[in-house]
Amino acid sequence: MARIIDRRMAIFLAGLFILTVGLPVASSAAAGELAPAYLVSLVGKYLCYALLAVALDLVWGLCGILSLGHGAFFALGGYAMGMHLMRQIGPRGVYGDPVLPDFMVFLNWQELPWFWLGFDSFWFAALMAMAAPGLLAFVFGWFAFRSRVSGVYLSIITQAMTYALMLAFFRNEMGFGGNNGLTDFKEILGLDLTAASTRTGLFAASALALAGGLLIARWIAASKLGRVLVAIRDAEERARFLGYRVEHYKLFVFAVSAVMAGVAGALYVPQVGIINPGEFSPANSIEIVIWVALGGRGTLVGAALGAMLVALAKTLLTAWLPELWLFALGGLFVLVTLWLPRGVLGALEDGLGRLRPARAAAPEEARA
Amino acid sequence: MKNVLALPLRPYLAALLTALALMMPSASRAAGFEELVARLPEGGYSDRAQTIDAIARTGDPRAAQLFEALLEGRLHARKADGRVVILVEGAAGATAIDALSGESLGEAPARSTERIKVNNRLRGMLRSAIGALSLTSPDRETRLRAAQSVLKSGDPADIEALDAALSAESDREVAAALAEARAAAILNAKAPVAERRAAVAILAARGDAAAQAALAPHASDPAIVAEVAAALARIERTQRMWGVAQNVWYGLSLGSVLMLAAIGLAITFGVMGVINMAHGELVMLGAYTTFAVQEAIRGSAPWLFDFSLLIAAPLAMLVAGGVGIAIERGIVRHLYGRPLETLLATWGVSLILQQAVRTIFGPNNREVGNPSWMSGAFEIGQMTVTWSRLWILIFALAVFFALLLVLRRSFFGLQMRAVTQDRPMAAEMGIDTGRVDALTFGLGAGIAGLAGVALSQIDNVSPNLGQSYIVDSFMVVVFGGAGNLWGALAGGFGLGVVNKFLEPWTGAVLGKILVLAFIILFIQKRPRGLFALRGRAAEA
Amino acid sequence: MSGSLLYLSGVSKSFEGFRAIDNLSLVVLPGELRAVIGPNGAGKTTMMDIVTGKTRPDEGEVLWKETVDLTRADEVETARLGIGRKFQKPSVIESLTVAENLELALKGPRGVGATLFGRRTREEAREIERLLALVRLEEARDALAGSMSHGQKQWLEIGMLLAQDPELLLVDEPAAGMTDAETMRTAELLREIAGRHAVVVVEHDMEFVRALGCKVTVLHQGRVLAEGSLAHVSANAEVIEVYLGR
Repeated sequence: MARIIDRRMAIFLAGLFILTVGLPVASSAAAGELAPAYLVSLVGKYLCYALLAVALDLVWGLCGILSLGHGAFFALGGYAMGMHLMRQIGPRGVYGDPVLPDFMVFLNWQELPWFWLGFDSFWFAALMAMAAPGLLAFVFGWFAFRSRVSGVYLSIITQAMTYALMLAFFRNEMGFGGNNGLTDFKEILGLDLTAASTRTGLFAASALALAGGLLIARWIAASKLGRVLVAIRDAEERARFLGYRVEHYKLFVFAVSAVMAGVAGALYVPQVGIINPGEFSPANSIEIVIWVALGGRGTLVGAALGAMLVALAKTLLTAWLPELWLFALGGLFVLVTLWLPRGVLGALEDGLGRLRPARAAAPEEARA
Repeated sequence: MKNVLALPLRPYLAALLTALALMMPSASRAAGFEELVARLPEGGYSDRAQTIDAIARTGDPRAAQLFEALLEGRLHARKADGRVVILVEGAAGATAIDALSGESLGEAPARSTERIKVNNRLRGMLRSAIGALSLTSPDRETRLRAAQSVLKSGDPADIEALDAALSAESDREVAAALAEARAAAILNAKAPVAERRAAVAILAARGDAAAQAALAPHASDPAIVAEVAAALARIERTQRMWGVAQNVWYGLSLGSVLMLAAIGLAITFGVMGVINMAHGELVMLGAYTTFAVQEAIRGSAPWLFDFSLLIAAPLAMLVAGGVGIAIERGIVRHLYGRPLETLLATWGVSLILQQAVRTIFGPNNREVGNPSWMSGAFEIGQMTVTWSRLWILIFALAVFFALLLVLRRSFFGLQMRAVTQDRPMAAEMGIDTGRVDALTFGLGAGIAGLAGVALSQIDNVSPNLGQSYIVDSFMVVVFGGAGNLWGALAGGFGLGVVNKFLEPWTGAVLGKILVLAFIILFIQKRPRGLFALRGRAAEA
Repeated sequence: MSGSLLYLSGVSKSFEGFRAIDNLSLVVLPGELRAVIGPNGAGKTTMMDIVTGKTRPDEGEVLWKETVDLTRADEVETARLGIGRKFQKPSVIESLTVAENLELALKGPRGVGATLFGRRTREEAREIERLLALVRLEEARDALAGSMSHGQKQWLEIGMLLAQDPELLLVDEPAAGMTDAETMRTAELLREIAGRHAVVVVEHDMEFVRALGCKVTVLHQGRVLAEGSLAHVSANAEVIEVYLGR
């Protein structure tokens, strides 16, 4: 266990715990609403991003697979949850149809498409939020890794994958609400989504998922399998000549990561109240990469921190100086790759020099 | 032409057109024409009908214009002197021109003239008369149009007029069109079976949608059922063939755009192993350069507009190339051997460029005009080719072969190939690899700028222009094989044509998705693309 | 040939018209130590690629223990059969420690599940210690492999090969970048391990080959030019011409 919860993980989990308890308390009426209520959902959203970043770090940081399509797994998880929330609306939609969501009534559909069946059950939807991205990652990875597509080629086809999905989900005929996506959610598990208690619950669930995701990722990283993944990242050929089926390892970690991203998406949707095809856009997926790079590739905790930092900056900047946001984000990509190859966490730890330099952490050089 | 209206007029017209065909001596005709025109404002509708009929009989070439003005309510009588004038609406108000001489009579204030009124019956009569007159119009295009409109209506009443026009026609194309129109009319006229058979053959030879429409109603005509069926089948084949040709053309056109957008990418990736995610934004810079050049020309030298693209092309290449060199020197240079980091850093640059353009030029689409030689379209058989697309195809091929020449024949090209194949050895031999890298990157970027000039002619020029091409151009590079110009050519055109062939079946979006899926599967089989790099460079 | 460990017969391989391997035949017996020499482009690396399943030959037979067809196996399968390979450029996992590098190489289950749940046993720890001593890297046990010197990396890689406990070791230019003392020590090490394992060494350095004191195969233009003791092949006129030029 000690190998799994190292010092930085312990510090992060402690901080996360304080945040999870502190924020809802601070924003409650009892504390005189020290923090505005919307903060709970906002930070809850950040936590989902953090989990997504951890998922990407698992494949990129640990195994060197730069996926530019992780947004797709996140969005698929989100859509699975969104479909459940749509079914929960029931007859309270604008058109008042007891079964069909509004957009289907609008499109003159007579009955629920087969792939919407089962989503009235929360647990089925939760399962699908993990199974759909996991399956996509498995199928995609099976093709890609088996034929040894790697490096920038892999990055480009993952980008093509999410781009193709975006185009597909934009189509009304796909049956996922087209352009507008899924929205106007009312309740989850019978609880009103606008209620402060529900929002606090979702926030806590996100924090729990993040902690769980981090621990699972860390467990994988600290196992012998984690070292095989590092071997694949550093010297794929060597791993193969040592007798390791490289494609099986990649497939495993890619699928686990996709499931994690799906969970993040499923928690994200009820907190922001909408999911649309824009989540599949290639730009979104690349943004995830910069979270990880900024925080410190391969550090897991750093990825989570990076996601929250960038998300916070985005919230502030787009509110104050929207013109500047893309300049800032673009600049961040350039600065981090040029001057912070090990990310903020790496730089911080190098600077402090107190902690032992992370072993399985950021590689000096990524290989194509 | 509405048949309901045309029916009672048929006997009339037939007579009128026969008269036309006889070609009366011109002197008496001219005198009669002027007198008749002067008589137009007088009397009631039935008087006017007689006058119109008489005017048509004169066969005067001015009659068509006069009838059109009358039909559109622009034929007026001046209150002051009763002179018949045609009103032309301009920006400042209406001006009058003399209906007979065409001489301009200056401004016509609103109440100074009175419109010569027509009713529905007269309108129908005028339309028929205009159609018949057009068949013998001195203007070739007008005759062609008239023949086509008769083909569409297939009105048996027009047969005599057509015969007359045919005997006078000297232009082969117009004559063919007239014969086809006549064939359609013959079919409708229930002419003798032999004539109808001949008509079917004529229409079958024409082979387009109009011929199909003319034949289709006779598919169950017992006398010629076999002939019509065969003719329809033949037309369908012809159309399918032209449909394929049109798709190939659309595909080549799309392919030329894809190739242009991808070719610079192929260079930078091939030589330096660098994925330049800002490539799309360099294309966008090229398009905005074109916009800026056109703005400057509009403001100071409008007569230069037709040359705007010729001026913009070198400028766009310089602007995009300059930015490219700056990116290489400032960022990419420090990241060699780390392709994934380069990808991220150049993505950052792309965001910055996008926002910079948005800040300077605004977030909306900017209007970039087509020079006159690039606007419009022409037809080859049943296929429409727009000039802009054709020029872009020519331009793309020109850029491609120029680039090939540079790489194969110039000293710079030699250095570049040396660096691609064996960097350490090239450096050892005294080649300044840093300089070659910068120039290569600049060259790739400059070509992106040229692509932007071309794209500005067919696409919206907005800050998002680059984003919409980046995934596609990557697909071309991956499909064609990185670092190989022929790969970019084959990839671009191949994907373009495949895309356009899928579209009619699946719709544009689904077609694109299928193409993406196909490429994802394709690179399983050939991870390095169609034209893979060979030798040790490929291992890097 | 009976009792062979590795048997190549009539193997050819062309790359875009260039014949890298041309009708090559070679037999390696169990426990044998063999040096393969030859000028650049003689096909030494391609031969290793073919044996390890990285490259498929155009024609010819490649048999493992007289029964297994190696032309149908890939790198992972040949590794699992018991063929270990050291690359010309040292290939170790730079961001793992020396001990972890050896641990990954240790013979044992290679599946995803086994590595996820497996723990280092006491036996494995002992074996790692033994190998560390053998390649003289006890001191560097917990240092990152990336921080090792070139020679140390070479030894670490040899150590990893031994950890796999293969029946055949293919060793590509192990002495490159080593000091004389290190070179001699490496030759000694290879002599030690031969017998228990068959070892095929590709090398340029004649001093090193001499120190190995084993049968030598000379490759030239993808073919076997001569075979025998170093003294024997050194006397061969063709070999002299290839090496000294005409």
